[in-house]
Amino acid sequence: MAWNEPGGGNQHDPWSGGGRGGNDGGKGGGNQGPPDLDEALKKFQDKLNNMLGGRGGKRGGTGGKGGGGKPRNAFTLPGLLIVVALAIWAASGFYLVDQSERGVVLRFGKFQEVVTPGLQWNPPLIDDVRMVNVTRVRSLTQTQSMLTQDENIVSVEISAQYQVADPRSYVLNVRNPELSLENALDSALRHVVGGTDMIDILTSGREILGSSVNSRLQSYLDSYGTGILLQTLNVESTAPPDPVQDAFDDVIRAREDRQRTINQALAYANAVIPAAQGQAQRLVEQGQGYRESVVAEAEGQASRFNALLTQYQDAPAIMRERLYLDTMSEVYGETAKVMVDVSENSPLMVLPLDRLGSGTSGASGQAGDDESLDPRVLERLGASQSSSRNSSNSNSSNGIRREGRQ
Amino acid sequence: MINNRSLLVVGGLAAIAWLASNSLYVVDETQRAVKLRFGEVIEEDIQPGLHVKVPITQTIRTFDTRVLTLDTDPSRYLTLEQKAVIVDSYVQWQVINPTRYYEATSGDELQAVRLIQPRVDESLRNEFGRLNLQQIISEKRDDLMSGPTNDLNALMRDELGVAILDIRVKRIDLPQDVSSAVYDRMRSERERQAREWRAQGQEESERIRANADRRRSVLLAQARARSETLRGEGDAEAAAIFSEAYGKDEEFFSFWRSLDAYRQSFQGDGNMLVLDPSSDFFQYLKSPTQVDD
Repeated sequence: MAWNEPGGGNQHDPWSGGGRGGNDGGKGGGNQGPPDLDEALKKFQDKLNNMLGGRGGKRGGTGGKGGGGKPRNAFTLPGLLIVVALAIWAASGFYLVDQSERGVVLRFGKFQEVVTPGLQWNPPLIDDVRMVNVTRVRSLTQTQSMLTQDENIVSVEISAQYQVADPRSYVLNVRNPELSLENALDSALRHVVGGTDMIDILTSGREILGSSVNSRLQSYLDSYGTGILLQTLNVESTAPPDPVQDAFDDVIRAREDRQRTINQALAYANAVIPAAQGQAQRLVEQGQGYRESVVAEAEGQASRFNALLTQYQDAPAIMRERLYLDTMSEVYGETAKVMVDVSENSPLMVLPLDRLGSGTSGASGQAGDDESLDPRVLERLGASQSSSRNSSNSNSSNGIRREGRQ
Repeated sequence: MINNRSLLVVGGLAAIAWLASNSLYVVDETQRAVKLRFGEVIEEDIQPGLHVKVPITQTIRTFDTRVLTLDTDPSRYLTLEQKAVIVDSYVQWQVINPTRYYEATSGDELQAVRLIQPRVDESLRNEFGRLNLQQIISEKRDDLMSGPTNDLNALMRDELGVAILDIRVKRIDLPQDVSSAVYDRMRSERERQAREWRAQGQEESERIRANADRRRSVLLAQARARSETLRGEGDAEAAAIFSEAYGKDEEFFSFWRSLDAYRQSFQGDGNMLVLDPSSDFFQYLKSPTQVDD
């Protein structure tokens, strides 16, 4: 196309292939204007021819036309076309460079300059302008599983944000800067991870990981001359590989379990100790209570005794008699009695055995200290007392019934 | 006449255009070129720009001289301790001597890759065979790469007119069966860790509980001791009070206590007394006369 540019032999060529894309306005004008002009001129010529009585004949096609005998036409038409073509060519050299872009200009293939934002003009077909966006932040994310220093496997997700810092290098030095970046990122990441222990990668070492990958990757990119500048490099996530994820989760659970078990034990301790303290206090109080009640009772009995003794010393015989009679009347008053006159030698005596056996021994067991029973109180009394003292009492029904009664 | 003349003009222009297109050529900034005359190189390393050649007899071959990335296929190497690893690497390379490059590959990039790749593969294989896995994975990666890169670079400059800028290892992975062994090991390590945590929890828990139980036992025992002491004190005080009181007249005391005991003994129903009416109590039951004691 380029070589046909000045040629009048193919008039449409410059207009159709004249410029790079980017200035359609000029091109549109070019495509529309000349045919109209052409058409008008043709009509004019035909009219002239008709007027002159020449052979009227339309000839299709373009190219140089034989003017109808007037040399002025023949001269002006190609000239006009050339002027128009030049104008179009010049107009198509204008283009806008956006604020976010830089244009790398090659003149006849050789690097000329880097153009800055604004309205620019470069001769079309001579200069080639390649636009690069230099402000857009591009990003690249990779997730890979890799070996760590202690020969474990981790899966790391990393994302890089980068910009084109040097448009000239970006356009001219490396065929595929993005591919180079991907490869270099992969390599740098694995390099750094390979020099770190798994536990560091999974826990605390993420920031360090990110920064060391960043500097390493940037040095690779610079050495290839990609013109790429890394903005940020984030280690998005580090995780153990899927097949062992459960085991890792279980460790976390185990730690929780440990804490929970300890907490339960602490709760137990916190419940037990105060309860024990309370119980201890109760025991002490009981002891104290027993002591006080025993002493009080003793004092009561002693003072009662003292009071009686005072009276007794005044008139011992009367006192004894009275006390004895009081007691016996009380005892006999509450108890079933059978009188037996053994001195008369009565031949036969029937004891009401049903009544003897029906009752329970009413002794409450509070036998006093070493009682010497009056011999006139008979064995039955002794038997009832011994039954309250000895647990080896054969009369178990007595015992049970006594419990029921009390 | 006029038609002829204009045809001539058109033809002339066409001829000029053809001549221009065959005698002018552009080398792009991303390229270098060599000029050939009947296949023989007569001008080397033509720089970017607009150049002139003789039509028909001379031809121009251009080569991309940007940095190119060759992503090698993953391959399996053996380390020093005969462990298999699967290695994926890439090579950054560049045409630096177009003439040499043209002679070696006739400018066919695929051909160049076919020549470079086995060399890279071989030098990596040698390098890996000299190191054990630990070294390969961790600290030796830079050394691992710099040796082969330099050697290959020198070699390829001579042979292909190509510079090997960088060889970088990407993946170093273990084969599938070894990976699963690694997973098993990782899993068992984690399990051990988990068990350790749990056992520690149990231990700590037992310790706390035992300590609590001990404190409880001690507290209760002390309390019981205190309680017994108090009871003893009470008993002792009571005994002292009794003996102090009853010591004044022991005979009266035993009389009085005995009476008390009888009263206590016969409390409740169901007692039966078989009485002899000749007892002292019933002396007045028979006759109200005075008896002599």
